[in-house]
Amino acid sequence: MVQRLKPVDVVAVGVPPTIRDDCPTVFALGRREILAGGLAFVGGLGLATPPAGLAAEATAWSGESAARFMELSSLLIPHRLNEGVGSRIGAAMSALNPSLAEQVTELLAIARKKNARIVEDFFPDLPEGPLKETALAIISAWYLGVVTDAPDAEVFAYADALMYQPTKDVMTTPSYAISAPNAWSAEAPPLSNMPDF
Amino acid sequence: MATDQSADVVVVGTGVVGCLIAEHALDAGLSVLMLEAGPRVDRSQIVKNYRRLPPSVRVGHWDAPYPPEPWAPHLETRTAKQQEEYLQLEGPNARAYLQGYVRYAGGATWHWAGLSWRITPEDMRLKSLYGVGRDWPFGYDVLEPYYTRAEYAIGVCGPSDPTLQWPANTKRSKPYPMGPIPFGPGERRLTEVAAKLGMINLHAPQARNSGAAYDGRPACCGTNNCFPVCPLAAKYDASSALPKIEAKGGKVLVNAVVYRIESGEKNAIEAVHYFDPVKRSQRVTGKIFVIACNGIETPKLLLLSKDERNPNGVANSSDQVGRNMMDQPKLIVELELQEPLWTGVGPVQSSSIVGTSQGDFRSRHAGALFRMENFARSPLGAAAALKKGLVGKALDTEIRRISACTAQLTVEHEILPSPDNRLTLSNKRDWLGINKPNIYYDVGDYVRQSAKEYTVPRLKELAAGLGATSFQLSPEFLNSDHIMGGCIMGADAATSVVDPDCRAHDHHNLFLPGGGAMPSGTALNSTLSMAALALKAADAAVDQLRHG
Repeated sequence: MVQRLKPVDVVAVGVPPTIRDDCPTVFALGRREILAGGLAFVGGLGLATPPAGLAAEATAWSGESAARFMELSSLLIPHRLNEGVGSRIGAAMSALNPSLAEQVTELLAIARKKNARIVEDFFPDLPEGPLKETALAIISAWYLGVVTDAPDAEVFAYADALMYQPTKDVMTTPSYAISAPNAWSAEAPPLSNMPDF
Repeated sequence: MATDQSADVVVVGTGVVGCLIAEHALDAGLSVLMLEAGPRVDRSQIVKNYRRLPPSVRVGHWDAPYPPEPWAPHLETRTAKQQEEYLQLEGPNARAYLQGYVRYAGGATWHWAGLSWRITPEDMRLKSLYGVGRDWPFGYDVLEPYYTRAEYAIGVCGPSDPTLQWPANTKRSKPYPMGPIPFGPGERRLTEVAAKLGMINLHAPQARNSGAAYDGRPACCGTNNCFPVCPLAAKYDASSALPKIEAKGGKVLVNAVVYRIESGEKNAIEAVHYFDPVKRSQRVTGKIFVIACNGIETPKLLLLSKDERNPNGVANSSDQVGRNMMDQPKLIVELELQEPLWTGVGPVQSSSIVGTSQGDFRSRHAGALFRMENFARSPLGAAAALKKGLVGKALDTEIRRISACTAQLTVEHEILPSPDNRLTLSNKRDWLGINKPNIYYDVGDYVRQSAKEYTVPRLKELAAGLGATSFQLSPEFLNSDHIMGGCIMGADAATSVVDPDCRAHDHHNLFLPGGGAMPSGTALNSTLSMAALALKAADAAVDQLRHG
């Protein structure tokens, strides 16, 4: 199907330069800027610059850390959560925020102290600053399916991202069929009918 | 039978225009070779690319699932820096010519909305009726049968009631092949609100399979993802035509970047030259050449092809190649509403108010099309609610409220052809060393006056009717991706590039069909008119090869 012609009229033009002038280097450079900017979203220590030993710090993220991350996520978000997605989000967040494991432990301690079952039970007790930022960053990642919503962000969840769920009784999850051919409806239930998810 | 080096009909470009001509020529027993600058990519890969985009890029960056090959660059908009790379834009409304198109096999129909409006008899006689713009060199009665053929070729659904068709109560040689696609809640609500204001929101005719399969493609199941890609091919895109073309004996060469059109004796076109991905140059000969690589790449290629016989570029003795660049300058308004509207049910665009494109006011200012964008707003609602720092039930409630109680209205204006709105060759070059396109663009007072005294006031009325509590208008005109005018059609070779069959006045065997040929831009989406012109050109090309 994809065919190449034999050279029939080769002009001496040489091989294209290895650096194209129509962009990708810009994009590659942009990633570093984006990463640095994204750290504010990730919460944590309010790092001014990305830590040098990101990869080394990430290895400190253990199976136990991941389990605690899921436990905290379940307290922060009152919905069914996919463990595979949580595992990927936790690993990615810990790579950007080396203090994540300790912060998760601290957040769990506050929740336990309040005997929290849902986020409303303990969220008002979180001090302003890194701990609260981390809690919000975890919630944001579960809803958006990305740790930072930057142009080159890695997506951990598409259809499982919670952002599509509060409207799933009406709105389409784009690229998934809503119904049989022409079988959708112009009726919508009231705003107060929050779907279960 | 076509070979890799020669065919009766050589078609440059594999979009809707090129594919319609290729198939018609094959059906007439001619050999066809198609050359495509970009790669051929599976639909499943494009859907994967889309789902892997971060949420902020999924909406509004229709180019993002189509990363270009280095040898076939097109507009990329993920970052502001990236956006400046390929199209070089200048003039008062440079931003309004940031045109998205796809240099992949299948072309820009990969991410078109599928709206398939006909233009009206009046749209073709602007000069005669209103003293502005240009007239088409033939009337609506000549175009009508080609519209019908185009509607059947790409599978357009639409209403059967002549009062709900466009143009209304105007003779059609056949009904639409399929009935209309149903509205979701938002489009129904807009229709009711508009009606109270005397504006009729019509079911848009659209190249989407309504209620049943058509032409080997499945029925629309409301994936609400017409752009950037229909996962099912329920919406026509030209990529779905390529296997049919190959089954009929046509050849499709991808990653073949045509960079020169070669003229010969009597100024006939002898060949086109292309670069393969390692920049080896290849020469392809034929009897008829069709350049159908969209309204920017086609004039660019003509200007690149200067030679001794054609010192201003191929087909350019009139100096009109690359001039009269048109689109529908667009304004958008973001609304917050008291009551839920609910978009995101059905196609991303499925209706429009088009009666507002017509009227005697066109002697003074532009007509326009109004529309509500029907894409699911849940990602926008989620991002806005998260930004407020909400958690738990409050977060979910706010996501649901913002997603349901916000909307985007769009107005697209008719622009007049102006020789000053001009595509030239930039000094900046792409990866292959080919000049990038440079475009000067000014929407003109005709459009600005329309926005001021006609369309923005009407947008405000619609917003009030919908119960808007906030009205945020885009600060400048935007692109609509309907590229027209750069190879303008006319009866007079001194003032136009192509004749009524889209044949170059300067070269009897060169056809330049598509949006570039359109003498009036109108306020309506251009694809069906491009398809109709393609079929008219196809008839002429086949007839020319048969009878000389």
